[in-house]
Amino acid sequence: MTTSEHSAIVQARSLTKFYGKDRGVEALEFSVEAGEIFGFLGPNGAGKTTTIRLLLDLIRPSAGRIEVFGLELRAKPALRRRIGYLPGDLRLYDQLTPRELLGYFAHLRGLASLGTATDLAERLGLELERPIKSLSKGNRQKVGIVQALMHTPDLIVLDEPTSGLDPLVQQTVYDLLLEARAAGRTVFLSSHVLPEVQHVADRVALLREGRLVLVETVESLRAHAFNRVEVTFGKEPAADAFAGIAGVRELERHDASVVLALEGEADALVKALAEHHVLTLDIHEADLEDVFLSLYRKAADAA
Amino acid sequence: MLHSVLLKTLRDTRRALAWWSLGLCGLVSIMVAVYPSIRDNASLESLIKDYPEALKAFIAFGGTVDYGSAAGYLGSELFSFMVPLLFLVAAIGAGARAIAGEEERGTLDLLLANPLSRNRLVLEKLAALVVELAFLGAVLWLSLAIGTALTAMEIGLTNLAAATFAAALLALLFGVLAVLVGSATGRRGLALAVPAAAAVAAYLVNALAAIVGALEPVRPLSPFYHYAAGDPLRHGLTLDHTMALVIVTAVLAAIALPVFSRRDLT
Repeated sequence: MTTSEHSAIVQARSLTKFYGKDRGVEALEFSVEAGEIFGFLGPNGAGKTTTIRLLLDLIRPSAGRIEVFGLELRAKPALRRRIGYLPGDLRLYDQLTPRELLGYFAHLRGLASLGTATDLAERLGLELERPIKSLSKGNRQKVGIVQALMHTPDLIVLDEPTSGLDPLVQQTVYDLLLEARAAGRTVFLSSHVLPEVQHVADRVALLREGRLVLVETVESLRAHAFNRVEVTFGKEPAADAFAGIAGVRELERHDASVVLALEGEADALVKALAEHHVLTLDIHEADLEDVFLSLYRKAADAA
Repeated sequence: MLHSVLLKTLRDTRRALAWWSLGLCGLVSIMVAVYPSIRDNASLESLIKDYPEALKAFIAFGGTVDYGSAAGYLGSELFSFMVPLLFLVAAIGAGARAIAGEEERGTLDLLLANPLSRNRLVLEKLAALVVELAFLGAVLWLSLAIGTALTAMEIGLTNLAAATFAAALLALLFGVLAVLVGSATGRRGLALAVPAAAAVAAYLVNALAAIVGALEPVRPLSPFYHYAAGDPLRHGLTLDHTMALVIVTAVLAAIALPVFSRRDLT
């Protein structure tokens, strides 16, 4: 075993899951290193939840394996003591109050008390005494987050954690994750959009139709950042009008509206645009989602 | 009350258990209360003697129909049908809720993210089922003990305990079957339907075998046969019949464990 393998908290090797003939995920290879926040991205149905449920040993791989702390969970369920999990489709015991539910899980995890649950609930603004069945979706989600973090797990696995939460609470959740990372703990975070995780994640992986298409550090995404130039012309320019201009790529075109990606200085582009009748011009920094997708397309083109 | 899956499960079922207990007490009260008038009614006894054999087969317990004795009366009125029916409904319902119920409600993902092996989960759910049936058995025995004492019915407490134990054991067998089907499929409807159908079939096989000779060879396959054949109200428990029920129940439980451990949760 090499050192890098040794430090991996989660390690997927040729991880594959089929549901009958339907593809869940196929040949996933990735590792999550100790102390990082790993963003796991993809549209709905791409296989994020399947991967997470494989990680938790709730379902079993058709081929390949996924290891947590260097072991398959199936061989050692007690390892779950070190994992905190928030399911994407969160269902709670409706007849209990949050305090009762958290107490139940505290016992199952061998905690002497509620652990950090009371503090967490306070920070998230969650009341512990009302029956869960009377709680709003956002408050239920808070219960899910508190139970995932209350036993200070070494690995925190959250499936779309901020769904149903208002922006202020979302920020608190991100703060909690950043604090966990600062304490050397590891976070595996799924989301269907990059902007949600780009401010906290160290690395992001993109899943498309069950396959991992890209794993990048957020830093390198930022290095690939470009400007997005949206131009509306008086009449549609020729198809190759912007080909061959230094640092410019055409991203989209709808009749006379063209979106260009601009890396580096704008001079060549401005001079090329001057030859056309320009109605509107908008230049702004592309968000990382665009960067990510353009890297994905490059990777796909290269393959 | 929320220290383990076992205790949580019992807590969830406490209301239902209270209702079942009330029902059992009510049933026993009525049956015991009317006993004196039936015992002293000679015409009723001769009427029952003239019942068709087919009908007698369904109300017989331990091979006889005898409304003149306390054991015969309780056997026909309670233990041939009503007690197993109530125990079975309670046990199959609890067995189906155990795994499949949690799975359909979607709480199983969250529960199994705790440091709890799947075997441990099934074992605690089975333990809860045993405790629930033991509780219902205790309620039945206690109401019978009080009721028979009040009406001076001549029957031993040990024999009442034996019959109650046999009924609880019979129900446990089908309850564990419900746990097994739920563990294998995760579907509560199926976990209710399969044991219910199996229980009806087992009941019919045992009852009809008394009058249809062709069924006699398969009769020992019916748990109802092992439940009643030893006539526990008169003779207490018999080792071979009791062991037959215990072994089948243990085998069903032993199958449920690996089946659940290997499966993908839905």
